[in-house]
Amino acid sequence: MATLTNPLSNSASRRLVRVVTTEKHILWIIVWVAGMGLFWGWAKMFLNSLGLLELQLAFLNSMIGGVMVIVFSLGLGWATGVCLYGLERSGNKTAYLTLNFLLNIIRSVPQIVGILLGYVVVTHLMLGGAFQTPSQQILVTAFLISLVVFLEVSDMIRERIAYHRGLDFYDAMLCCGIPEWRIVNVEILKKNSLAHLVQKAVGVFGMAIFLQCSIDFIVSVGLTMEVSSTNFPVTLGSLLARMDSKQDILAISTVFADITYVKQLFIRHLQGIGVAWTIVYTLFCNYKIANGLVSHYRL
Amino acid sequence: MGRKLAEHIGSILVVALVFALLIVLFQAHQSSEQRARLDPVGPYLSLQFLDFGNPLHRSLFKETLNAFRPDSAQANDALLQAIDRYRELQFTDPSLKTGGGERGLSWNTAARLPGMYGSFIVVYAVVLLLTSYAARTVAVYRFVTAKQHRESALRELWAHLTVFRRETHWVGRVRYFGRAGTLLARAIVKGFTYLVLFSPAYVIGYALKTSLETDTSLFMILLGLLSNGLLLTYANKFYTLLVTESRKGYVETALVKGLGGQWIWNQPGGIRTASLIRIEKRFPSHVLDHIYLNARNQYLSTMKEQGSFLITGLIIAEMALNIQGHFGYELLQQILNKQYDVSLVMIFGIFLVLKATEILVDWQWFRESRKYGNID
Repeated sequence: MATLTNPLSNSASRRLVRVVTTEKHILWIIVWVAGMGLFWGWAKMFLNSLGLLELQLAFLNSMIGGVMVIVFSLGLGWATGVCLYGLERSGNKTAYLTLNFLLNIIRSVPQIVGILLGYVVVTHLMLGGAFQTPSQQILVTAFLISLVVFLEVSDMIRERIAYHRGLDFYDAMLCCGIPEWRIVNVEILKKNSLAHLVQKAVGVFGMAIFLQCSIDFIVSVGLTMEVSSTNFPVTLGSLLARMDSKQDILAISTVFADITYVKQLFIRHLQGIGVAWTIVYTLFCNYKIANGLVSHYRL
Repeated sequence: MGRKLAEHIGSILVVALVFALLIVLFQAHQSSEQRARLDPVGPYLSLQFLDFGNPLHRSLFKETLNAFRPDSAQANDALLQAIDRYRELQFTDPSLKTGGGERGLSWNTAARLPGMYGSFIVVYAVVLLLTSYAARTVAVYRFVTAKQHRESALRELWAHLTVFRRETHWVGRVRYFGRAGTLLARAIVKGFTYLVLFSPAYVIGYALKTSLETDTSLFMILLGLLSNGLLLTYANKFYTLLVTESRKGYVETALVKGLGGQWIWNQPGGIRTASLIRIEKRFPSHVLDHIYLNARNQYLSTMKEQGSFLITGLIIAEMALNIQGHFGYELLQQILNKQYDVSLVMIFGIFLVLKATEILVDWQWFRESRKYGNID
């Protein structure tokens, strides 16, 4: 009897299975998308339409914010990393030490404190009429977060340059007359450090989501008088900080007394539980994706 | 070390100077703002015989104003409105309230903060030590299991299910399904543990708020250790260092020279679990000992970053859970009440904690490096 399977699709599916089993970062991206898709389907069934709309908006805003943090951090990290290298090579010791000193001061300020101070400044600017549209607010908060996380990228950039600087190809390229800025920016960073940059970007994304959710949660709890008048766009953190979401999270402890209550968590308390799940699941998958990249590219 | 120490002291001085300047500027701005608010209404409010809460006095005051300045009726109304606004602010604005507690930097504030600061430092130090121990232990365990080529529980379960045995005897069937059940339970427990470890502190805190006492230092320590992904992130960093070290040439040389390289637990030539759980981990006569020592040395610089992230986690927990009497909560309250001078002093305190960690880490790194002859 002749087989009815299409050889092309068969080989494609086989390839997909091979990729999924060997490349863990791809597997975990699929797991994340599938998990979020399942949750969205569940929320569509059991969450009221207004709640679902807000959840979708919060998710979207948080993800856009996270991506913007990656863009800003890569830009700042790349610029400072290359700038420090340039200053070091040019022999401008004073400028090099000053920049290094300033960066080390930023490093010594805990991220949350830096962002909180930034939020205070932004809130005052908002009350004065600046950053009035949601897109501007997402951008400015992403920029604040990137100010405290870009140093990781900067360190990595410097590490990569230092590593390649010791290899023969660097001197060979210089001998061939290729300008140093091109060797550093194109040959080292763009062509030979892409996997490192992607892995760092994934790490930065996780950190950005964590910090953004935390600061929005805190700001909603503590700085309400200042912030409510200017209305930051809804994010997963601020949605979780709402009273009804908090009640949903508080309901988890009911399960310790009555285990049968667990099913209510996923129906009656879906909003808070769903937001918490989205944050935690995203952070977990992000960690797995970053690990997958490390093991696949042997970083 | 001298250069590093000078850099640390220099940055402390610079930050202290900048903060002192900001505090002076803030206090000057605050007093000028208060003066500006009081200037137009102050002389009238200081009239002892006038009670602006009394409608009769208000009418008399308005009529007097209109009689003295008949051409500026609008300005007179505006003055009366400014007086009303100021009197309202005396009830609503904490900076104008009397008897609402001291504001700004004062001796009372200075006496209140050290206790909170001290307990914050204790919690921070304990969690830092616990996480660095736990991160190293988890990383070494993971490294050894990876060397044993052990698969995850889910993969093992998948492999187990794909080779379905057609057992005819009930004992075989029980064993087969028992093994599948065990693997599934292991995967669920592992997944749940991951979710807890990656949960932000406020999610765990709120989930347990009604069943546990959440404002104790012990709870803060547990929260700091088991939330925000801190433990797994730094265990992963140490694991990556172990993997990188294990790829280096000296490992193979050591193995060729006859050093133990068996990745089995509690067997001759293998690794003892007692060595794994010790605080000062050593794996005598095993190549892991050298891999571990080299990785640990590199991990030291990561501890600065870990300290910063830990402080972030602790402050988030204290602020988000509204744990009164804790340093993080107090900082949030000061920011909320626009007491930026007190907030800056508190932030400087946090900066000093982190600087102290950095100095200790650099000192330890310097000691280790001298031991192995890397620097003079």
